[in-house]
Amino acid sequence: MRRPWIGLVLAAALLVLLDAGLPHVLNPYYLTILTRIGVAVLAAVSLQLINGFTGQFSIGHAGFMAVGAYVSAALSVYLGAGWLVALGAVLPVPLARALYFPVPLVAGGLAAALAGLGVGIPALRLRGDYLAIATLGFGEIIRIAILNVDAVGGARGFSLTSAAQPAADLRYDGLGAIYAVVALSVLVIARLVYSTGGLAFRAVREDETAAESVGVATTRVKVEAFVVSSFFAGVAGALFAHSEGYVHTNSFAFLRSFEIVVFVVLGGLGSISGAILAATVLTAAPEVLRGLGEWRMILYSLLLIVTMILRPQGLMGQRELGPLRWLATRPRQRHAAA
Amino acid sequence: MPLLEIRGLTVRFGGLTAVAGLDFSVEPGALVALIGPNGAGKTTAFNVITGIYAPSSGSVRFDRKEIGGVSPHRICAHGIARTFQNIRLFRSLTALENVRAAVAAAQRSGLRDVVRGPGWSQREQALEERALELLTRLGLERVADTKADALPYGEQRRLEIARALATQPRLLLLDEPAAGMNPSEKEALRGLVARLREEFGVSIVLIDHDVAFVMNLCDRISVLDHGEKIAEGPPEVVRRDPQVIEAYLGNNGESA
Repeated sequence: MRRPWIGLVLAAALLVLLDAGLPHVLNPYYLTILTRIGVAVLAAVSLQLINGFTGQFSIGHAGFMAVGAYVSAALSVYLGAGWLVALGAVLPVPLARALYFPVPLVAGGLAAALAGLGVGIPALRLRGDYLAIATLGFGEIIRIAILNVDAVGGARGFSLTSAAQPAADLRYDGLGAIYAVVALSVLVIARLVYSTGGLAFRAVREDETAAESVGVATTRVKVEAFVVSSFFAGVAGALFAHSEGYVHTNSFAFLRSFEIVVFVVLGGLGSISGAILAATVLTAAPEVLRGLGEWRMILYSLLLIVTMILRPQGLMGQRELGPLRWLATRPRQRHAAA
Repeated sequence: MPLLEIRGLTVRFGGLTAVAGLDFSVEPGALVALIGPNGAGKTTAFNVITGIYAPSSGSVRFDRKEIGGVSPHRICAHGIARTFQNIRLFRSLTALENVRAAVAAAQRSGLRDVVRGPGWSQREQALEERALELLTRLGLERVADTKADALPYGEQRRLEIARALATQPRLLLLDEPAAGMNPSEKEALRGLVARLREEFGVSIVLIDHDVAFVMNLCDRISVLDHGEKIAEGPPEVVRRDPQVIEAYLGNNGESA
């Protein structure tokens, strides 16, 4: 890549084309499913950092998505709507929107990261089952706490419409932009994990005592994984909130956390490609199987059971595909393989 | 001035005293053996030196600094590295990754690895080359890309040593490196241990059951029994010590 800007321009063009063009090609039903796949992929890949690469078992990921979703939604409704209208007055509307929407995503991510830090420091003293139970508990606490905050709608759910600025459109469901955010996040996680420094995550997964003995500050590494993972879960939650235009705590119940764990385990603990694959297939499956009526949940469950019997290490094991495989391979090995 | 100086070290687990008032020191550049029957407290002593256990009482000084009760990764940063009695490799990582993880343990991953600005790949390359060089010096370059748990036993032991050396220690603790090896492998290991001291300039403490193994290798032998040091000195002297013969070598000690 001699001239990275060419790539950037091309990517931006593709993004705009997707954002503007897709709604003409696909009906809203497919668009919604594709958006949900993007959110699921991001949630799964971020959890992979904790469960797959650092070897800790967290099952409260939806809680961090909820923090991201609600914080970003509240930001948009109470402050962002005004900013968006003000920006729209001086700039072309699409540009104003493109400038504004990263703000709630980052805010949601940061809020979730902060929550991750608060939960991670005490919880990561626990191991195995105990850690799992603690994260599950925290996930539920977060959800129930939000359920009792009236400013974000409580049990009624929270609609992304501003009473003060009814004209502001706070929904953002451009698929190009959503997938760009997902791709960027996946790239960040992959680069973090597949660097020499990132070997610390996997060292902790493989053997904590040995990792400590070679100088890895294991507690710190675990907390880092938790915080980074929570950040991206928060971004996923913010994407979800802004693409749907409405959030409810029911979307972040234990079942959601569990679903993300399934993506990660089924895809293969320690494979980003696997998490992407499983999140995509399993988010699409209930829709694809919709024609089967009430049989679809049975088929979905059978699909899980059969996969785990045939491939207990997950679809991908610890391997990667395509560009991720390239990232995971050392320059020396690339050289040897050539 | 000794590199490592242990004074009056006692470790208790509930009612059990695993190490009782141990005095033990290692001079710079020394190759010392810690021997004794099962349950004598040898590994416990290692675990205290490397921070896995905190001493119940007594002091552990490394390079004049007190390290008793300090966390293991900090002790590693001070310059003490170890291997484990029951090999503890990063099993699903390749041999090279095992060593790379140790080479880079001090430098954590972060924004630098995400942005990958100028100089990043040279730095990665340099870390990798250091890891590869270590593998080569331990005769493991051929298996650099093999997963650790797929390596034969002897190579796993060597890989663990390579990984320990990757942290650039001044003191290397080898916990029963010869366990489970046949005589010819043991002979090769003796050569390796002697070479490590020469080439890497590390002081070495090694634990073993096998008196013959350490006899012609080490400068000094300390014998533990029931958590207490019962003898210490050059191999020739220790071998003839009646207490050692009785407690450790058995009654026909000479032939052991």
